Amino acid sequence: MSSIFSLTMVAETLRIAVPYACAAVAGVWAERSGIIQIGLEGILLTSAFVSVAVAVASGSAVLGLVAGVAAGAAFSLFHAVLVERARIDAVVSGIALNLLAFAGTRMSLRGLFGSASNSPSIEAFRFGPTGSRGVDLLARVLLDPVTILAVLATAATPFLLARTRLGLRTRAAGENPAAAAMSGVNVPRVRYTALLISGAICALGGVHLAFDQHRFESGMSNGRGFIALAAVVVSGWRAERAVLACLAFGALEALQIVLQDQANRSAGADLIQLLPYVATLLVLGFAAGRAAAPRGLGKHAD
Amino acid sequence: MDAPVIRLDAVTRRFGDFTAVSAAEATLSPGEIHAIVGENGAGKSTLLKLAAGVLAPSAGRVLVGDDALSPATPAEAIRRGVGMVHQHFMLVAAFTALENLMLGAEPVRSWGRLDLASAREKAQAIADRTGLQVPLDAVTETLSVGERQRLEILRVLYRGARAILLDEPTAVLSPLEADELYTTLRALADDGATIAVVTHRLDEVARFADRVTVMRRGKVVLARPYARAGAGEIRGGDLTRAIMGGEPPLPFARPAMAKDAAIVLEIKGLSLTDAGGQRRLRAVDLTVRQGEIVGIAGIEGNGQSELVRALAGLEPGATGRVAVGDRDLSRLSVRARRASLGVVLEDRHEEGLCQEATVGDNLVLGDLGDRRDGAPAFDEAAAITRRMQRFDIHPADPARLAGELSGGNQQKIVIARALDRLPRGPRSAAVLAQPTRGVDVGAAAAIHAAIGEAAASGIAVVIISADLAELRKLAHRIVVMRRGEIVQSLSPEATETEIGRAMLGQEAA
Amino acid sequence: MSATPDEAPEPPVLRPLLPALLALFGIILLLNLISFAFGQAPLTTLRLALAGTWGTPYGIGQVLFKSTPLIFTALAFEIALRSGLFNIGAEGQVALGSLAGGVVGAHLPAGTPWPLAITICVLAAALTGAGVALIPAVMRARLGVHEIISTIMLNRIVEVLLPFLLVTVLGAAALRTVEVVPGAALLKLDAVFPALRGSAASVAFPLAVGLAFGVDALLRRTRRGREMRWIGINAAACRAEGIDVSRRLVQAMLLSGAIAGAAMVATVLGYKGYYELGLGAGAGFTGIAVALLGRGHPLGIVIAALLFGTLQQAGLAVNARVPKEAMDVLAAAVILLVAVANRAAAKPLTQVTPVVAPPAPASEEAAS
Repeated sequence: MSSIFSLTMVAETLRIAVPYACAAVAGVWAERSGIIQIGLEGILLTSAFVSVAVAVASGSAVLGLVAGVAAGAAFSLFHAVLVERARIDAVVSGIALNLLAFAGTRMSLRGLFGSASNSPSIEAFRFGPTGSRGVDLLARVLLDPVTILAVLATAATPFLLARTRLGLRTRAAGENPAAAAMSGVNVPRVRYTALLISGAICALGGVHLAFDQHRFESGMSNGRGFIALAAVVVSGWRAERAVLACLAFGALEALQIVLQDQANRSAGADLIQLLPYVATLLVLGFAAGRAAAPRGLGKHAD
Repeated sequence: MDAPVIRLDAVTRRFGDFTAVSAAEATLSPGEIHAIVGENGAGKSTLLKLAAGVLAPSAGRVLVGDDALSPATPAEAIRRGVGMVHQHFMLVAAFTALENLMLGAEPVRSWGRLDLASAREKAQAIADRTGLQVPLDAVTETLSVGERQRLEILRVLYRGARAILLDEPTAVLSPLEADELYTTLRALADDGATIAVVTHRLDEVARFADRVTVMRRGKVVLARPYARAGAGEIRGGDLTRAIMGGEPPLPFARPAMAKDAAIVLEIKGLSLTDAGGQRRLRAVDLTVRQGEIVGIAGIEGNGQSELVRALAGLEPGATGRVAVGDRDLSRLSVRARRASLGVVLEDRHEEGLCQEATVGDNLVLGDLGDRRDGAPAFDEAAAITRRMQRFDIHPADPARLAGELSGGNQQKIVIARALDRLPRGPRSAAVLAQPTRGVDVGAAAAIHAAIGEAAASGIAVVIISADLAELRKLAHRIVVMRRGEIVQSLSPEATETEIGRAMLGQEAA
Repeated sequence: MSATPDEAPEPPVLRPLLPALLALFGIILLLNLISFAFGQAPLTTLRLALAGTWGTPYGIGQVLFKSTPLIFTALAFEIALRSGLFNIGAEGQVALGSLAGGVVGAHLPAGTPWPLAITICVLAAALTGAGVALIPAVMRARLGVHEIISTIMLNRIVEVLLPFLLVTVLGAAALRTVEVVPGAALLKLDAVFPALRGSAASVAFPLAVGLAFGVDALLRRTRRGREMRWIGINAAACRAEGIDVSRRLVQAMLLSGAIAGAAMVATVLGYKGYYELGLGAGAGFTGIAVALLGRGHPLGIVIAALLFGTLQQAGLAVNARVPKEAMDVLAAAVILLVAVANRAAAKPLTQVTPVVAPPAPASEEAAS
């Protein structure tokens, strides 16, 4: 049992939670601005792939990070334009963009690296001690630049939404786009901005995912974008609570890793993987009805 | 900054083929309260929105001061000192009053941080000057209708507007609140502001307006100064004629009703507490006799909507007894209630029509598979034809999408569905909320006639309307709701002021 | 835009075809761009793709085969969508339904006559599919949990469950079920049209086409289906008029899951004869695209399914030169293209001119 309450566990939880938390905070930005965003999964994948591809090509992890974030932001902006300007259903756009990201990264993987499963290894960032357990692991997790950026972005979000002009206008666009427009707020522009921020934050999660594995793997986001979306709903569209939900998720997954590590793999061990999804469903069931979505979610200003 | 003169120069506005405003001329000047009157659909709201940059003209020009309003956007209008207060408040319900006030014109410090302190200071200064007091830290949705309206006006002033255009500002206010509003507007006008008010209440024009513009079918048919005190250039009678276009007002003969007619609809101790623990209905008692039309008056948000929903069976948490004839409906489902109680909810877009379904489908919505004790199965085709004919729905094409019909015909669909199903006589009742809201004059008359006919056939009718004139015209008896209770019962001969006092809870003077 | 009452409405058959044509054009353009990126001469990939699909009877048979499950999953999505629900869970419903159908088919007595065997297998698959959909259905109808997230979670749950069920519960060594009894195997189309020899097309295709028209009839002609459609348009109005909205939503979701589960007709009964892990994977998501492209018309759905079936088969044909995933990229692009085209073509109701001359609130409505 002791290993459950260890520094390793804390470190693993944090490490695992980063992509979830980034995607969830991204979801909060998008949906608080009024745009339904089920394409987080696609942004995670796209940014993970682009960051690795650029890192491989340039040999620079920093360039990879920048490119990944830019790709995520662009992908997210594309969604916003499709919804706000072309006026297509946000759910349809999200589905299509997820498919595009999934197929596009696989196709590019084969095109660029001649592999159907993964890219070559990259160096990514390596700071701190090298050990794989306890303090060493925790230190390394905390010193990771992508994690630091993710924590900063996550921590800044509630403040930005509550206390700045951009935040006020983003919330207005999400709560009542017609009223916001009548108040002189340029709703599409506010939403584009929110989605750019959203995409960039989500991309941090994607880059983290890839850099953590030191390579890109086909379909490596593995549903994290969807679980993050569930965290957004469960949290009532509040960033700080969504992050807490993601940490809980990280803990569940870390627990799974720790348990599998030590237990001899019994027949039902695989079923532990069900935990996060079943937990999400249960929480959704209990939280539903209490958490109120932004009232302008999915609505246009005119 | 001096208040601007707003001139509409041969302004036309079309929506598709429909011309809402046609070559209209109007001048809104500083220091005046300018009333714009006309029937529903006459184009007066559109005219105001054109002046405020909310809509762009299809032809003609809107001049603010000496220059055209271009681009025709609310933002540009505000920049030029023109602000509008919409009939349906344009406020973010989840925001605090202060947040709503500053939205779009936020004072900021470095890094885009909101400067709440200076916003509050500025708001308070304006509030102190004009007497428009609003609790700035309250969440907007918890404010009363009157407070929200003050907030809207405050917001327009906050942005530096010197011309304030208000669309039907008194529609949601009690008469006394309306008087207060006009006192504020008068003070603003005396201070040099340009004020324009769209209204359909002629008594307001008579008491408060300096100038009046009458619109009919998209055209300005009369534009005159209207002297408040004494010798006027035009009089109320002229106004009525101008509004109605010389046509006599459509007569409505209130069906006769026997004083001792049998009680048909009986509501006893109907109570409702919402999810937030607020008591929405407090032991409502109401009985309606065979062939009687009872009107319910009240300031919006005093339980009228909840009463209708509870009667329809849409509020499972409601307690108390609802009976029609000798049939106790209290425990019945929505579907079971419909057989003897026809209900029209107040918002036909939200809860009445499937706009993208056909007229035919809408006419039988919820009726499919209806079987009344031993009666033959529901004959859909016959019902659609009968309902279209009886209620004169245009165009008489059941395959057309309901959303393509005019508001009046959409409303006829909803009312046809509720009334046609009911058996004639003392075994049925109908509850109609806002039966003619947003419909044209012709349709309103047709709907009134249908209501009269229903009552004449013995159906007990309840009408809830924000339009006191409508209630006084149709009802045998007017009851007033306040804070979820029925507080008073009045005769239709009561004046609007008397009804208004009851709505506000003030004793008759 | 003159809307006179006697104006003839657009022929309903042409409407779904227009975006389809646009989609076709977009596909050709994009395919060439991708081919170019992979160093292929223009049009070679296209030629290869066409040759591998509609170029030979075998290719046609394969297209029919690939399209069949897509028709099922598209109809599943369609039924839910018309009721205002996004059933993203077809993926899991197909998988678990296929497993159940395969297991049941394998455990029937060897001599079971085919009408009985096939009916039992399909029923088992459909019931299982409906069972998977039951959870999101009830969560939506009773608790108000949005079905998008719950169906996605269920997809993941099924994904985890499948290997566990195959290995641990069924004791299968190779992540597949045992062969179904001969009676449960569906007739191959090449038995009727010898030219299709070797292709995997079975009578599941005509069955699917029939089902497309059946679903359409359900939604247009029956009380249940019409009420589902009305709920999809305005659930609040339906509730106010006494329609049991929760019940209809659950029914729609269950029907959707059942049809998705029945997609195994094409893969398990019509092709492999058993279920193996991954069989039919992707059909759930592609079916969404097919439904969106088909635009609520049975023929439209069949044509759209054929289009995506063609893409899938073409992917295999060009795989040596251009990754077959290129076809999925095309599919995603098609969804977006069609959505944009539909949006541009559809006139929003609020802007439709009221029919009668002096329509009162037109101004307010158009402006709000």
